[in-house]
Order: sequence, then structure tokens, then C-alpha cells
Amino acid sequence: MNKRFTLSIAKIVEETKGIKTFTFKHKLDAKPGQFIMLTDFEGGEKPFSISDCTEDEFSITVKKIGEFTARLFQKRIEDYVSIRGAYGSSFFISKNKVLLVGGGYAIPTFYFLSKILLKNKADITLINGARTKEEHIFADRFQKLNIKVINATNDGSFGEKGTVVNVAKKLIEDENFDFLYASGPEMMMKTLQKVCGEIEYEFLFERYMKCAIGICGNCTMDPLGLRLCVEGPVLPKKKIKLLTEFGKYHRDASGERIKY
Amino acid sequence: MSDKLKTKFLGKTIKSPLVLPAGIMDMSFSGLNYAVQNGAGIVTSKSLTLEPRMGHKGPVVAEFEGGLLNCMGLCNPGIEDGLAEINQFKKHSDIPVIVSVFATNILDFLKLTKYVNKSKADFLELNLSCPNVFDEFGIPLSASKEKVGEIISAVKKISKLPIIAKLSPNVYDISEIALSAESAGADALCLINTVGPGMLIDTKMVKPVLFNKFGGLSGPCIKPIALKLIYQTYSAVNIPIIGMGGVKSGEDAVEMLMAGATVIGVGTAVYCRGIEVFNKINDEITKFMKEENYKKLSEIPKLKKL
Ligand SMILES: Cc1cc2nc3c(=O)[nH]c(=O)nc-3n(C[C@H](O)[C@H](O)[C@H](O)COP(=O)(O)OP(=O)(O)OC[C@H]3O[C@@H](n4cnc5c(N)ncnc54)[C@H](O)[C@@H]3O)c2cc1C
Ligand SMILES: Cc1cc2nc3c(=O)[nH]c(=O)nc-3n(C[C@H](O)[C@H](O)[C@H](O)COP(=O)(O)O)c2cc1C
Ligand code: FES
Repeated sequence: MNKRFTLSIAKIVEETKGIKTFTFKHKLDAKPGQFIMLTDFEGGEKPFSISDCTEDEFSITVKKIGEFTARLFQKRIEDYVSIRGAYGSSFFISKNKVLLVGGGYAIPTFYFLSKILLKNKADITLINGARTKEEHIFADRFQKLNIKVINATNDGSFGEKGTVVNVAKKLIEDENFDFLYASGPEMMMKTLQKVCGEIEYEFLFERYMKCAIGICGNCTMDPLGLRLCVEGPVLPKKKIKLLTEFGKYHRDASGERIKY
Repeated sequence: MSDKLKTKFLGKTIKSPLVLPAGIMDMSFSGLNYAVQNGAGIVTSKSLTLEPRMGHKGPVVAEFEGGLLNCMGLCNPGIEDGLAEINQFKKHSDIPVIVSVFATNILDFLKLTKYVNKSKADFLELNLSCPNVFDEFGIPLSASKEKVGEIISAVKKISKLPIIAKLSPNVYDISEIALSAESAGADALCLINTVGPGMLIDTKMVKPVLFNKFGGLSGPCIKPIALKLIYQTYSAVNIPIIGMGGVKSGEDAVEMLMAGATVIGVGTAVYCRGIEVFNKINDEITKFMKEENYKKLSEIPKLKKL
């Protein structure tokens, strides 16, 4: 309870135009897949996945898309922001051969996950995709980890040409993976689900969040009513298969259904 | 669930006396389902307005030792979409549903009532007491016994469903307002809505924690206030009461019953003890009844009226 802490920004890294990583010196009790709520008290409090977390610091990686993130992008080192969390479910930590599939601003959560999986001696293959080279991020950081990395862009300007799903499909046909993790646009995950076959998997979902503590109901997913801020954002195959709204619609800040 | 918990509320038989209150996990049909799966006996919709509302900007909740502050700002998908969620819930469930509606004048309440008449809802709750839209709408309607009376009489004339009036704790004399609601035709009362409002301050950034600055207080810290107001109301009226405010355990729920409630709302405790809270409280009430040798919920005694 009362998990809010106000911190000054310790480090800001521009990953590419429109994506920045913010680092805070604070021992955050967090697991891979979990998120924090961040505010500057100027209007808006938003969820961001934890992209790295060590003994004494943690990071989030943010894409500038609207009013709130634009304001966050104007912050400088030593500016204060207020954070609560970590919240939500976390990824299963396998010790076997695993495939990580992700793209865009949703990939950095796999950096934190990879580090923990490596500690557990998992054999990791990562597909890191983006539309273009300019939008591709974290390639250098993943390169430094002891994992197999396949970079991909839709236009072929960096790594393999094609979508992460196409690359994943080939890999799944050729190799035997015990577990698959996905984080990225919902329609990407929807098509990815079709090529997963018998493999067990977990996907990281996004829904509009307000309270992040499971009471307002804004983030529930049909038909089970799972609250993505408590039972999610990471959901296992068993539950994903029951979701009727996956890839079809989500709810906005008023609770109104918005089609994908 | 123990059969002992079975009871009646406004003519409907319910499996558990626990109510999911307005504003808790109720933006979608599936949220209501989830509460029922976990042991709620009646569910309430989010307070619905004629048009969709996005609600206030965040932070909209603040956690603290005593419970929560919230200023959601009546976010809801609007009466039409909101009722579509209710109808979808009713397709697969016979659990009674209370539809909560919010407006600031008689005309809008009447419009909302007409929509609800055409839905599969069981009860109509008039939210006369939201404390979190002060800037927009001013003090809650339930601060005035005259306004409470006028709105309820008008709605009563056209509503096909029994009417529940949701009252604010932030008044000088609750019994006078409760009496006005009863004589205007309310079939039941629901209290209390959130207390205050109150505020919290971030000391590093020197800012109110809630973007709206002020928010309604809920959770364990408001239970003594809720008990007192429910007891005063129970002493004044003869219609059933949905008692809520800080209920977190079976013991709290029994206190509510003794203060005069017929059924009990469990809201903020979903945050304090998780979604399992409904089943836990059901079990705790059952255990209490066994220990004290009460065979039916209705055997649990009420306090002597004031
Ligand atoms: C579990 C989770 C993890 C996330 N992790 C990251 C991350 O690591 N990096 C990152 O850049 N973004 C992440 N997001 C998305 C991020 O929260 C939104 O990009 C941000 O809130 C946009 O705010 P804005 O005001 O700039 O944009 P707006 O113009 O307000 O909104 C643009 C879009 O962002 C989304 N959004 C806005 N507010 C919210 C909200 N309160 N909850 C969820 N989605 C919202 C909506 O889809 C909206 O259409 C995550 C979201 C969730 C739910
Ligand atoms: C996040 C939140 C949202 C709420 N929204 C509404 C609402 O829309 N309409 C309403 O009548 N009451 C609303 N309430 C008040 C509750 O229904 C209830 O009266 C109050 O929280 C006291 O009960 P509790 O302590 O068990 O939470 C809300 C409460 C919370 C915490
Ligand atoms: S954001 Fe409120 S329940 Fe998940």
C-alpha cells in the first residue's frame, strides 16, 4: 500500500527519434513484464513497462505519441516525476529454449526479461522488429547479452526484411522452442498466435489504465473480466485463448468500445 | 457458497448479501461477471450519464494507509453503451443488476430512466451524491432534502423498476434526507458514497497528488462514519438499506447488518484484499453465524433504533 515515490530523473537516453529511455536511481521491487504508473502532476498518469531493473536503478523506455509523452520528453535530468508500482503480472521465467518476439516501443521489456532468463540459464532467441531502421531500437543493448538476436524491419533497411511474424514462423518450423513470449502491437500478436502451434506462450497486452490497482474496471478484458492491471498485462496461452476481444476491440477512457 | 447467506432484497432472492457498488470494476459486462464469479450477490453498473465521459485526468486515485482517494470524474461510456453492457451481462446471468445513473437535473434523470426502463436491469439507482465533479456541477444533489424529494417523485412516476437513492455522507442531518427520499417514493437507500472529499500532497513536487486536487475517501478509514450514518438512517426510515463504506471483512459486514443494512456493499476492499474478497467475506460471515448460532441471515439482530 502507498507505493508512490517521487524521484528525480537520473539519466535520459535518446534511443531514436521519438523514443527515450529514462533511468531512476531507486531500488524497485519488480519482475519482468510489470509496469509502473508515472505522473508529473500536470495532468495524466500513464503506464510504462519496466525496461531494466537492477539492485539500485530501473528504467522505462517511452515512445512520444501524445500530450503526456510529449511533456515527458521535455523533462531533463534531475527533474522530478512521481511513480507508483511495480504493478501487474510478470513473465514466466523458463530455463529452456525460448523465443522472444517483439517490436517498437514494446521491445525494451524484453531486455529486462532476457537478463532474468539468462540468470536462469535459458537458451534465448530474440526477434526484434520495427518498420524501418530509424525506428529500430535496443539492437546494441541486446547484442551485448549472450543471446541469439534476429533484427528485422518491414522495409529491409536493417536486419531481415519482413515482419517479426514472418521471421518467427520460419524459426518455429525449423527449431523446437519450449516457450514463446510476445510484446508489441495487438494485431501483430494476433497473427503471431496463429503460427505458435503447440508452443506454450505469454503475451503482454495493453489496455487503457487509470487506477492500476484493480478497482476502476477500465482495463478489463472480455469475457472473463480479467483486469489487465492486476491479472495482466502478461497473460498466458490458457487465458488468451478465451479472450473474445483480442484483436477485435479495446475500451477507451470512457469505457466505450473501439474497434481495431 | 453457504445456503445460510441466501436472503431477499426488494423481492429478489440473492445468493449472497454482498453488493458490488457503483464504480468498482463495472465498466464492462465482463467486470460484473468477474465479481459474480468471485462471490458477489448483486452487481451495480458504473454511474451512467446521457453522454459518454472520459473522466478526469490522472492521477485519479491515491493510495494511503486508511484506504483510497479517488476522483475518477464519472467516466462512463454513456447510457446507451452502458446498458448494452448490462444487457450482455444479463444474457448469461440471473444475478440482479442495479443500474446507477447520474444527472444534475430532473429532465436528464427522466431521460435516463426511460432508457433504463427498456433494459434488462432489475433496479434503478440514482446517484445523488458524487463528490468528484464539484467544479462542473457544484455540490451534490443529496445535500438538499427538497431536491432529493423532487427528483425521486419525478422518477418514481415513470420508472418501471424499484428506485434506490444513493446518498452522500457529507451532510448535516442524514435522517432528514433519507426521510425525504422515502416519502418521495424511494424503494431503498444506498449509503454511503465517498467521504470528504479530501486531499493528499506530494511534498517533493509541492503538488496535490490527485490532478483534480480533491477526491472522495473510501476504504477502512470511513467505516465508523458509514456505520453511524446507516444506523441513523435505519432509525429514521422503513425501507431497506444497502450499507457500504469501508467493509473489508465478515466482521465489518455483520456490523453493517447490525447498524440496519439489509445487504452490504464491498468496494475498496477489492483493492485491499483482492478480487477474492467477496468469497472471503461470505465465508467469514458464515463462520460468524455458525459461532453465534444464527441459522439465517435475517436472524442476525439489528441494533435498537435511536
Ligand atoms: C501495460 C502497459 C505498458 C506500456 N508500456 C509502455 C512502454 O513501455 N513504453 C511506451 O512508450 N508506452 C507504453 N505503454 C503505452 C503508454 O501508456 C501510452 O503510450 C501513453 O499513455 C500515451 O499517453 P499520451 O498522453 O502521450 O498519448 P494520448 O494521446 O493520450 O494517447 C495515445 C494512445 O495511447 C494509449 N494510452 C493513452 N493513455 C493511456 C493509458 N492511461 N493507459 C493505456 N494506454 C493509454 C491509447 O492507446 C491512446 O490511443 C504501455 C501501456 C500499457 C497499458
Ligand atoms: C474508484 C471508485 C469509483 C466510484 N465510482 C462511483 C460511481 O460512479 N457512482 C457511485 O454512486 N459511487 C461511486 N463510488 C463510491 C462507491 O460506490 C462506494 O459508495 C464507496 O466507495 C464506499 O464504499 P467502499 O469503502 O467499500 O469503497 C466509487 C468509489 C471508488 C473507490
Ligand atoms: S486500471 Fe483500474 S482496474 Fe485496471
